[in-house]
Amino acid sequence: MNEVTAFWVLAAISVIGALVAVRKRNLVHGVFALLVFFAGLAGLFLLLLAEFIAVVQILVYAGAVGILILFAIMLTDRVTGKDAFRVTSRGSFWGAIIALAVFLVILLPTIREIPLVENATPKDMIVEQSSVKELGTNLIKPYIVTIEVLALLLTAALIGAVTAAQGGRASEKEENA
Amino acid sequence: MNWELIGDILLATVPLLVIFPSMFALTTWVERKALARIQNRIGPNKVGVPLTPYGGKLSLFGLGQPAADGIKMLFKENIVPTGADRLFHLLAPILSLIPAMLVLCFLPLEFPWLNGEQNSVKAFMLDGAVIFFFAITGLNTLAVFMAGWASRNKYSLLGGMRAIAQMVSYEIPLVLSAVVVVMIVGSLNAAEIAEAQAGWNWYVFQPWGLAAFVIFFIAALAETNRSPFDLPEAESEIIAGYFTEYSGFKFALFFLGEYIAMFAISGLAVTLFLGAGGGPGVEALPWLKVIWFLAKVCILIGVMIWLRGTLPRLRVDQLMGFAWKFLLPLSILNIFIAGFAWHAKNTNEGTAVSVIVWVAALIILYAAAKGLDRVNRAKVKPRTYQYGE
Repeated sequence: MNEVTAFWVLAAISVIGALVAVRKRNLVHGVFALLVFFAGLAGLFLLLLAEFIAVVQILVYAGAVGILILFAIMLTDRVTGKDAFRVTSRGSFWGAIIALAVFLVILLPTIREIPLVENATPKDMIVEQSSVKELGTNLIKPYIVTIEVLALLLTAALIGAVTAAQGGRASEKEENA
Repeated sequence: MNWELIGDILLATVPLLVIFPSMFALTTWVERKALARIQNRIGPNKVGVPLTPYGGKLSLFGLGQPAADGIKMLFKENIVPTGADRLFHLLAPILSLIPAMLVLCFLPLEFPWLNGEQNSVKAFMLDGAVIFFFAITGLNTLAVFMAGWASRNKYSLLGGMRAIAQMVSYEIPLVLSAVVVVMIVGSLNAAEIAEAQAGWNWYVFQPWGLAAFVIFFIAALAETNRSPFDLPEAESEIIAGYFTEYSGFKFALFFLGEYIAMFAISGLAVTLFLGAGGGPGVEALPWLKVIWFLAKVCILIGVMIWLRGTLPRLRVDQLMGFAWKFLLPLSILNIFIAGFAWHAKNTNEGTAVSVIVWVAALIILYAAAKGLDRVNRAKVKPRTYQYGE
């Protein structure tokens, strides 16, 4: 009973947050609505006993991505938060059709595939080993190559970003010197 | 309704809501007194307990000051600038207090009236407590930005931007220095980290632990906007930074949030490096654990106050350079050294090996710190004066 109530409250928070994030014309308000959505999603993950995903949701999305978007907005003139700016949404018709298609073609069959657990009690759901430990062991043992390749890719992206950001200035310095 | 569960939750949370705000009230008094003594002043010494309505009072070294301040804050006018975003202006102080209060739950405070079997205690002792701590303290940045943006004031916005840049930069050395302990213990659970250090086996006594503790403490100072990293609220440059436009109770909330964040991050430092509740007499009297924990937190707060009275504020470029060019490489090196030291200890027996590893690790870390310092300094030329000589 408690879990069901919590689910509906969190789901309502998430959906309302997402709707406000999309519909709000004031960009900064929109970002904070998006963060509310992320927080609601983290709560839903916690409800599913996936505490690590919940904490990563907060750490990466609410923390890092939120700040990144705010920084980006800071560099535009939308920072004033005036409602006069109108976000043009010409492709809303096709967007709605694509969203509907994704729901019908991908999400609905997936949901139907999942077997319904009748009369599930929380005790059945608690995994023996904690999710963090299991995840860590899996990352280091079977998936070590994957994680290393990903790390290499991210490092390359980071170096690329630094080079791209510094490229112009470095050549200028060489010319001056 | 499950009244037993609610009772458990109240037993676990109400003490946190009582202890830390009252420690906050005392800390403001201690801070004002200590800073005054450092600056050769006396500090608050008048406010006390009035004995009769006609005069005569118990001044008690000015211990009534926090109460007087609190009453003043409550009754001051709440001023909201005309151009401000009223909703966000109201939400920002609340949002700055919530994460600070929330993370107190993750500290391994073992109150004597809670036995470890109870559900509510287990709920807080999540397996990812340490990472939860960092995730939720990170949300404080958003509150600062909210305050700066909603005030519609140049200085507020500048303070908010400074705060974001500083908090994002210093979060990396903060987390990387904590990684060392998590790696050695093999758990993100705060209670397990505390247990691993039982009996004077504190990580601060290891060379990598000492280095990590120093990095952690410096980064924690920057995370909580404490002096010498108080650029977001630098009075001489941008008035009061992001809370320039705040008054009355909203300002008090910011103030409270800042101090609670200080307690929380000191609590994490105590958990990770200073043996959590460990101390003399813990085996005989388990309730001493809470006392020792809070005492260690108070000592760290004392060091923070001492540093505030001693060090001048950094420049923005020094601040960023220090985080990215000094603390970050050093904390990454520290992870490697901790790994090698742990491996050497596990593969070899005997005290000789551990002594050699201990000394070698300390020398490498010291040399690395010195070297980084020199590399960073090399570009600074002695100042030349055009007309001065």
